[in-house]
Amino acid sequence: MKDEAIYRRLFRTALLIRLVEERIIALYPSDKIQSPVHLSIGQEAVAVGVCDGLRPDDLVFATYRSHGFYIAKGGRLDAMFAELYGRKGGISGGKAGSMHLTAPEVGLMGSSAVVASTIPHAVGAALSFKRRGSTRLAVAVFGDGATEEGVYHESLNFAALMKTPVLFLCEDNGLAVHSHRPARQAYRLSDHAASFGIATRRVEEGWDAMAVRQATLEAAARVRAGEPFVLEIVTSRYKEHVGVGEDFHFNYRTKDGVDAWKGRDPLIVDTRLVEALKPELEREIAAAVAFAEASPAPGRTELLTDVI
Amino acid sequence: MSVATAKPVSQDARVLSYAGALLETMDAALASHPDVFIMGQGVDDFKGIFGSTTGLAEKYGAARVFDVPLMEEGMTGVAIGAALVGDYPITTHIRADFSFLAMNQIINLAAKYRYMFGGLMSCPMLIRIVVGRSWGQGAQHSQSPQATFAHYPGLTVIMPSSSQAILDMYPAIINRHPGPVISIEHRLLYNLDFTVSPSDKRVPLTSYVAREGSDVTVVATSVMVLEALRAAQYVQDEAGISAEIVDLNSISHPDWDLVAASLAKTGRLVIVDTSWLEYGVAAEVCRQLVVRDPRLLRQPPSMLGMAPAPCPTAKSLEDIYYPSQHETVDAILTQVKGQGHGIALPVERSMTEGYKRFRGPF
Repeated sequence: MKDEAIYRRLFRTALLIRLVEERIIALYPSDKIQSPVHLSIGQEAVAVGVCDGLRPDDLVFATYRSHGFYIAKGGRLDAMFAELYGRKGGISGGKAGSMHLTAPEVGLMGSSAVVASTIPHAVGAALSFKRRGSTRLAVAVFGDGATEEGVYHESLNFAALMKTPVLFLCEDNGLAVHSHRPARQAYRLSDHAASFGIATRRVEEGWDAMAVRQATLEAAARVRAGEPFVLEIVTSRYKEHVGVGEDFHFNYRTKDGVDAWKGRDPLIVDTRLVEALKPELEREIAAAVAFAEASPAPGRTELLTDVI
Repeated sequence: MSVATAKPVSQDARVLSYAGALLETMDAALASHPDVFIMGQGVDDFKGIFGSTTGLAEKYGAARVFDVPLMEEGMTGVAIGAALVGDYPITTHIRADFSFLAMNQIINLAAKYRYMFGGLMSCPMLIRIVVGRSWGQGAQHSQSPQATFAHYPGLTVIMPSSSQAILDMYPAIINRHPGPVISIEHRLLYNLDFTVSPSDKRVPLTSYVAREGSDVTVVATSVMVLEALRAAQYVQDEAGISAEIVDLNSISHPDWDLVAASLAKTGRLVIVDTSWLEYGVAAEVCRQLVVRDPRLLRQPPSMLGMAPAPCPTAKSLEDIYYPSQHETVDAILTQVKGQGHGIALPVERSMTEGYKRFRGPF
């Protein structure tokens, strides 16, 4: 019964993310959203399971594909749509757009369009927590491609040396834009992490928010005890790298793999719960979109604000 | 050598080296702000970033002053992350050239966070980088990237030219300035003694007049401010020329009104910078003045900087690679007296010979 309540809670947030992104897809041809969008459809369970497994005061440092983490961490939906619309009511007044969502009031500490660049930020925040004797932890969210960057190596080494409470969270969708992992990586992520004395866990069931949540809870307990940890969640990006379409016709990947994933995706399979929750969530989204539509565009007054 | 300050100093004046001023400000920052920490390669070793952090790890502990692996980008990212949760990080690079490895974090992240997130995020921090010169520093230990960093909105770039500048500016920056600050320190200055006065605050976080004059304006940066002051004394003694020296000091936020006011007085301009002229400080000074009023310049200005090549290692080449005292004096005399001024130039050709206390190997 308790598990059922948790499942419903996770499902609701994951469905909200999917419906939000489906609304973005529907709106996109209107050009009301003039910002590149990197959709997380197919990957929602990762953001939802991870954020639910954290404490509210734990911090998440994210990437350009972070609609899911923004919502899962509790960011305001109306401010998100206004941000995508480039309006003054946006969380960052329209200066951030889709790729730089942030919500520090709920612990989403920025997202960056430069791959791997926020990983050391999580390490730095964790270093600060440790010095202050806090039990908070910081999560670095990144994709499998980011582990190829030098700063990933630097971050793991430093985190291991300093024993910072940081959770390295790899969303492994197997793709870097259009490149598959075997063409990019001559190492195994777990072996690489192990060489720093950092433990790794790989969760294959990335469609299952409950499994992700449980893995996060267990990893977070170890991290709070002062041990960095690499948690790899296998997931699937249904849409193209950037944009609102599909990209199977370019033949760089097969539709079969994604279809197999969809066959296990609760947001597709559990139609009963989708139908039960959808009306309420759609109303929430409609209100957020209406907020964005009504919000004024920033202008010359705002152009140079917040430049030091 | 001791460098005299231009203004009379108060009775509590004392002599303090540039490295000593750095050490005092680092110490004071750690003592007065519990959120301040210092990290960088070698900050806790026996050389202590040329004496600017010596003993601080022992005094404040390894949690607040610590060595890092060779990870310039990672270190800067760690600093940003710490700053985002309320710490004030100070990072060091013993050569400015190494900061290029941190460019991604400095330019793509630190410089952007405040604006990109609509004021919700900011990463106040101090990045100390040291420019090398002389004793064969060569192509990769000699670069002076003020123009590079000042090009990007969101960064504050300063070049303290004296102990007083450090004593006055660093406390105003550390844990107070809302964004990332890059301080470009100069290795040649570290061992020099300056007269400083705690009660005579006069170096703001922008440009200032280091020496008043009426015949020609010399806009200078970093160690070239000292060279300009020496040259100004020479032309005063030898030719009765009154040179006004403006220390640009803040490269990202100069006081253009002050520079223009000086030009309105003198009409003649010499710019002496520590880097290349192309797309650099000299170009920006000219742009600012020309856009404001081309008549501020009575004649074409003179500009001195590094020769347009990577820095050579051989001393014979290095000596002619950088602007010398000889050339600085000549530029000032030529501005005021014209070509063929006939006034004897100082004998000394190698500027670094004037900095006898600097022996290397760094």
